[in-house]
Amino acid sequence: MLSLLLLIPFLGAFVLLLSPSNPPPGRMRAIAITTLALQLLWSLRVLLAFDPHQGGMQLQDSLSWVPMIGLDYRLGIDGLSLPLVLMNGALTLVSAVCTRDISQRPRIYFALLLLISGAVNGAFLAENLLLFFLFYELELIPLWLLISIWGGTERAYAATKFLIFTAISGVLILGAFLGLALFTGTVDFSLTPIVSERLSMGSQLVLLVSLLIGFGIKIPLVPFHTWLPDAHTQASSPVSVLLAGVLLKLGTYGLLRFCLGLFPQAWALVAPWLAIWAAVSVLYGSLAAIAQRDMKRMVAYSSVGHMGMILLAAAAATPVSLLGAVFQMVSHGLISALLFLLVGIVYRKTGTRDLEVLRGLLNPERGLPFTGTLMILGVMASAGLPGMAGFISEFLVFRGSIGVFPLATLLCMLGSGLTAVYFLLLVNRAYFGRMAITPPSEDPSADARLDIRLSGVALRETLPALGISLAVVGLGLVPAGLGWLSETTATAMAELPALLLAASHGGLG
Amino acid sequence: MAHSLPLPIQLVWLIPLYGFSGMVLSLPWASGWIKRNGPRPAAYLNLLLTLVAVLHGSLIIREVLALGPQHLEIPWFQAGDLDLLIGFDLSLTNLAALELVTFMSLLCQVFALGYLDKEWSLARFYALVGFFEGAMAGVVLSSNLFMSYFLLEMLTLSTYLLVGFWYAQPLVVTAARDAFLTKRVGDVLLLMALVALSSWAGSLEFSDLYRWIDTAQLAPLPATLLGLGLIAGPMGKCAQFPMHLWLDEAMEGPNPASILRNSAVVTCGALVLLKLMPLLRLSPVAIDVLLVVGTISALGGALVAIAQVDLKRTFSYGTTSYLGLVFLAIALQKPLLALLLLFAHGLAKALLFMSVGSVIATTNCQDLTELGGLGSRMPATTTAYLVAAAGLTGLFPLGCFWCFGWMVDTFRAGHPMLAGVVLLTNTLTAFNLVRVFRKVFLDKPHPKTRRSPEVNWLMALPMVSLAVLVLLSPLVIERIDPFLAIPSFSTSSTMLVVGSGLVGVLTGCLVQLDAFWSRSLFRPLGMLQDLLAYDFYTERIYKATIVAFVAGLARLTNSVDRVLVNGLVNRIGSASLASAEGLKLGVSGQLQSYVLTLVAAIIMLLASLAWLKG
Repeated sequence: MLSLLLLIPFLGAFVLLLSPSNPPPGRMRAIAITTLALQLLWSLRVLLAFDPHQGGMQLQDSLSWVPMIGLDYRLGIDGLSLPLVLMNGALTLVSAVCTRDISQRPRIYFALLLLISGAVNGAFLAENLLLFFLFYELELIPLWLLISIWGGTERAYAATKFLIFTAISGVLILGAFLGLALFTGTVDFSLTPIVSERLSMGSQLVLLVSLLIGFGIKIPLVPFHTWLPDAHTQASSPVSVLLAGVLLKLGTYGLLRFCLGLFPQAWALVAPWLAIWAAVSVLYGSLAAIAQRDMKRMVAYSSVGHMGMILLAAAAATPVSLLGAVFQMVSHGLISALLFLLVGIVYRKTGTRDLEVLRGLLNPERGLPFTGTLMILGVMASAGLPGMAGFISEFLVFRGSIGVFPLATLLCMLGSGLTAVYFLLLVNRAYFGRMAITPPSEDPSADARLDIRLSGVALRETLPALGISLAVVGLGLVPAGLGWLSETTATAMAELPALLLAASHGGLG
Repeated sequence: MAHSLPLPIQLVWLIPLYGFSGMVLSLPWASGWIKRNGPRPAAYLNLLLTLVAVLHGSLIIREVLALGPQHLEIPWFQAGDLDLLIGFDLSLTNLAALELVTFMSLLCQVFALGYLDKEWSLARFYALVGFFEGAMAGVVLSSNLFMSYFLLEMLTLSTYLLVGFWYAQPLVVTAARDAFLTKRVGDVLLLMALVALSSWAGSLEFSDLYRWIDTAQLAPLPATLLGLGLIAGPMGKCAQFPMHLWLDEAMEGPNPASILRNSAVVTCGALVLLKLMPLLRLSPVAIDVLLVVGTISALGGALVAIAQVDLKRTFSYGTTSYLGLVFLAIALQKPLLALLLLFAHGLAKALLFMSVGSVIATTNCQDLTELGGLGSRMPATTTAYLVAAAGLTGLFPLGCFWCFGWMVDTFRAGHPMLAGVVLLTNTLTAFNLVRVFRKVFLDKPHPKTRRSPEVNWLMALPMVSLAVLVLLSPLVIERIDPFLAIPSFSTSSTMLVVGSGLVGVLTGCLVQLDAFWSRSLFRPLGMLQDLLAYDFYTERIYKATIVAFVAGLARLTNSVDRVLVNGLVNRIGSASLASAEGLKLGVSGQLQSYVLTLVAAIIMLLASLAWLKG
């Protein structure tokens, strides 16, 4: 059942790549959208088959592949991966829908998009460490190409930076997985938690730190975040949607699944440091965002801040905080995708994203009132205003973590408060006031353009953003649905260390 | 049990939804999807829904009078040890507050039909007012802290949007920003306290929290921080010192929203504080802070109001001042007194703002120095102003007189200083009201006020009805006296209150207005005028301290990010490129040496592995 989630996008990619003659770009887009819609439908089918009351992996597909090196094809899904798979389906579809008038190599573009979607699904579903790694790497090269071919003016620099950082992350993760095999002396790459009987705490710590840095680059956490703002500013907005909405989640997913899931005991040991790291990351990201002038850079730094909260939640590892981590992954995915889409519209219409240049975009006749309205909704959701997805996620994270790490939690809440500062500045600068576009110049009064009339935004352009906005509000008002899906898994993960401890002391009898 | 309740009570969850659905229903007009016939239908829809909310509320009051207080809850989100509910406490106080909120909203919406007659985006205004009303109705009824917080934040958002209604004006831009950020500071602190409480006490229902507080064992530091966090949210909402900055700037928004903001919204904030009052026993520091903040706000607000030349701003500082008195009452654990003051102030202040709104709508001017002589031209507005002023001061036996009498009588014994604060606030308020009255209504006509007819009926109707209501307030107070149990206060207290009001009125009558406006040449007095006119330079102090601090920190982080983190990465990159360039020249091109290097490397690798294992 789950294999279809990989097969559909991969098949679509092959159809696109191998289709004879040269179909017009419109048809390729149609093929890609159809494939992705099918994939989304199938993930909904998986959702129907999913039993939220089971803690472990479900709907498993298994096939022995290369048993000599422990590489098994094993897929499974639980309350942690299911929301992410759904979000991957939805957001890749959104980014394909948002790709209009692509003139340069549409065939490769859409094929790469499908490839990424399939690989990400594979990474979320893999139940074997090596299989996860394969998919993790598989998603990397297509994204590099997406940035370096269809990116902005400095795409070569950004794409290379992205590639090097993420490749190092991959090496560290692979090193840790192989190290696991080396230290334990087996080729068991399944997802069984490592207990201290099997591996000394020192070796566990080495492996865990290697994994942490590997995933920390991907999330990204300070100080490994510096590839993200560049990648975002140079990538086109559909690619940014994908990057922020889906690919960053690979990092946090890995954090929960492999760091916390494989080394629960070592994790408990380093958790206080992780909480501090999370607080630093949140504050650093938020403060750096305040100083940005480029809207996309600002949203990118806000990602650094918001993803740091997931580390806090994972460090605390209580049932509520882990549920909060799942919520935060979903809501950050949706909200940042929404913001990138809207910034993309602004960029397309005005040719700039500079906050010093743009003024008064809310202007009802000549500006972008509807985009502005959605933007206000998006930034408020990101700032954690109740009634939208950001609030309940952050509330769960904070509520789950404050008992374990009070100080780090309070600092993270401060960072969440700073979100309001920079996003309010964004709205106030770019959307409020008298409409004008003032390019930086010696004589602003002469060069400012007050007589602009931006071309109207068609409904089909805002439709994806509208859809995501509804999802953001819906999740904020009725969070019980996602809670129902993920709660059992989160509780099971949170109880893992205690269970292991009990098991190793024979407490379970 | 829920099934045995009468239908209006079972459907109480609809009450906040009336406002919210009004917002949703206005969207087609607000967003311009429906352009035919103009935006009026959105306004009518909202009015209708608000009317339904008022009627539903009064039905519930009837049932509750018969059945006693009720409590309803609906599960919202449950995970682990966390249980979040949508809860409604149908006590008489909450319901009375609900009626105040919805009725005020109704009056304001009628008033706005006249005031914003030619407004291009009328539908957007009504959508926002619907949002506003829904959030307020929810806050006053909510039975748990989580829901209160949830809706208070929505109130913050809708305040931001309402203040930013005319977003193209430069002053509005800063006003909306300050309104949001100031309240947000309070809200984040409240959220910190809320999260901590939720973790410690388990439940967030007010009734459970009251039980928890009796047995709670908290160290002094967490208890103090908790108390401070809890009062921070209402402080921001009620525009208390030092978070009072936003309210006067918020007067840049449309006047009908200002009516609601100065009467109903601040009441909501204070009601939340009232519900939190039993928890404050944990922390004596928080109580002291409450007393200090209340005193400073009461006196400071009243003083700053006197030095303002803007018609709306001067009365918005008056709101800060009265809410300061409410804070004093809450700090001294006098909930009924606080409630009575909130109601009396809410009604009278709304009337005052309606009258002021009428003046602004007719003259298109809110600068006191350019107004004058309206008294004979706008009789209804003048009457409304006089009634509101009488209701606000402790001189005539209208609403606030009873509150001040009660306050002075109770404070005199234990806290003579606070009684003095109340009396002084009364004097200053009376002085300010008389000053503005003389200037706007009695002074000789100015160019802008020469042709100023009375307002149209859509504005006059709510104004006159509210004036009647304020005039009837003694009767209302008499009706609810068994419930409030106002102590009969002594003659000396009455004399004090009336005396303080009289002093204010007399000095207000006697003071030289013309000389007052020009800056005094006497230097200390001039400096005092400036100090008050600029609101103790609060804005500049903020700019120089907290804003500069955060901005500096942000710049520092950004430069660290650019120079240190990113610079390091780039330097590693260029170093590796440079070394590759250098190595390129050092290659001999001999195959044998490559093989030798490879073999040596492999041997070293194997040797080190063997050493590690061995």
